Parts: sequence; structure tokens; C-alpha cells
Amino acid sequence: MELLPLSFFEWAETSFLGYIGKNYGGIYATFGQSLHLISLAVLGGSVLVSDLRLLGVVLKDVPSEVVADQAHKVFRIALIFILATGLFMAAAIAQKLFYNAAFWAKMYALIAGILFVFLVRRPLLKGDHSQLNPLAVKLVAVASILVWVSVAATGRWIGFS
Amino acid sequence: MINELLLQFAEWLYATGWSRAIEESFYLYNWIETTHVLTVMLSLGMLIFIDLRMLGFVMPTVSAVKIAQRLNIAMMIGFAIMFVTGVLLFYAKPVYSIQSIWFRIKMLLLLGAFVNAVIFHKRMMASAGTWDNEPKAPRHLQIGAALSLGLWAGVVTTGRLIAYDWYSCYRDLPGLLSWAAGCVAE
Repeated sequence: MELLPLSFFEWAETSFLGYIGKNYGGIYATFGQSLHLISLAVLGGSVLVSDLRLLGVVLKDVPSEVVADQAHKVFRIALIFILATGLFMAAAIAQKLFYNAAFWAKMYALIAGILFVFLVRRPLLKGDHSQLNPLAVKLVAVASILVWVSVAATGRWIGFS
Repeated sequence: MINELLLQFAEWLYATGWSRAIEESFYLYNWIETTHVLTVMLSLGMLIFIDLRMLGFVMPTVSAVKIAQRLNIAMMIGFAIMFVTGVLLFYAKPVYSIQSIWFRIKMLLLLGAFVNAVIFHKRMMASAGTWDNEPKAPRHLQIGAALSLGLWAGVVTTGRLIAYDWYSCYRDLPGLLSWAAGCVAE
């Protein structure tokens, strides 16, 4: 199911961002795609550092509160960059995306991911972790890894479908 | 001469059965590529955290050497997956890749990043214990960390650009560029 009408995608392609991305392949490939991938490395790194800490895989001798707080800071910055570069790329090929199933799958995964981070994961991890149910913390970490890997994987498959 | 040899090697790889099988399989090739791309979250994700710690941007209250050592294994697992999937991607498209200027620049940047990492590690261990708990690493290590971030950003960028044929051999490239891309006169 599409979240926005086709007319919006038609407009996006004629917008300034769409025009630049469509007509300047080099800018699209570098400031769009490459920067999107670099942001993915930062965003994915921040997700994995804190989730692997919660699962007891890395940084076991560093308080999980410190790791989660610091990783979340990095996550927010990476999210801004990844959304900005994603919007830029999407504008350039907007009409094609409207008919691309992987694109819509990614949008649902992305919305789920953002809601999960800001409504579940962050509020839960904000306080003292020793007060939390250890199983719940581990489930949150697994869910977080799964949702962001899904966002990235469906994103990559936009280009294949 | 070197370009001829590299091309011969690539053509030999191209003619092997598995190379054709991977490239011709829609799901196999694309899943190898997806794995290669997604693993940047683990390999470069950990690397970026280590480098940002050296520069004082993350976890300034935690020992920098500890961060580097604790994230090292996860990062290395990531790089191992990157290496295996990367080799498979090259094996599936050897002739195209060997004659891609972007692939060639990427390999040089990778070499640079590797040398930089070895030097960084040696220097970090040599001075470990004296500055670990400072928010920022000493200047020479900060330079190494910044260089690492720059080189890897270049690796990702040129990696992405391999998909583009702007400077492919079938185009009319100026002499030096044609040589750098590995084009061989028929």
C-alpha cells in the first residue's frame, strides 16, 4: 500500500532537488548514494555498538548506560544525514519509486525503526539499566538490530527490483 | 604491460564456471552485494566509533585504548565478511572490475587504509597507558584517526561508483585516463 499519492512523486521529480539529482549524475552518486552509504555505516555502527553492548557481546566492562547514551547521540546525527541524502535520491527517481515494492517495504521498515527508537528503545534505556528486566533489554536489542538491518536490506533492494 | 596481464587474469577468471554462475544468478549476486553493503554497519560502524573516540567525539569518559580493543573483534569479523563478499563480487565481474577506474582507486585507498591502520595500531600500543583516559588521543594518533575516516569514506564512495560506466574503456578516454582505467588496445 502506498503512503503518498502518485501526484506527490510527480511533483518531487520536478522540484529543485529532483532536478539536480536527475541531471547531475555525479552529484547524485556522491552526495546522494555515497553519502547515504557512509551515513549507513555511522547509523549502523551506533545501533550495533549499543545493541551488542546490551546483549553482552562488546564493551562488557563499560556501563551500558554510557554506551547507549553516546551511541544515541551519534545515531541522531547519522539519521539526519541518512534522511537528507535519502530524500535527495528519492526526489531524482520519484516516479519510478512509486511503483517499486522494495521502496514501500523500506518506508514501512523505516517508520517502524524510527518509532521504535524514539518511543520504545530510547525511553527504556534513558534511566538506570539495572532497574530493567534483563530479558526485555535483550529483546529490545535484538528487535533493534532486526529492524535496522531490514531497513538497510530493503533499501539496497530498491536498486535491484 | 601490467594492464595486459591483469586483463588476461580477469579473462581467465571470467571463463570459469562459478564466475558465470554467480553473475548470472539474480538472487545470488544481489544477496552477495547486499551482504557486502550491509556489513559496513559492522566493519566501518565499529571503526568509526574507534576513530571518533580518538578525536574526542564519543565516549570521552571511557579509555580510548579500551574502546579500540573491545570493538576490534567485532570490526574484524565485519572486515572478514567484507573481504569474502568483495572477492566474490570481483570474481563474478572480473573483467568489468579490473577495467574500472573506480575499482582501481578503491584498491589503492584500501591499501592506504590498511597501512594507516597498522601504523596507527603500533603507535597507539606504544604509547598506551599514558593518555588513554584523556578525552582526546595525542595529536599524531588523532591525525591517524582522521586519515582513517577520510580513506574509508573514499573507499565507500569509489566502491559505489564502480557501478557507473562514465570512464569505461568503450568510451573515448584520454591517454592517461585510459591507461589508469586499465584499457588495452584490441
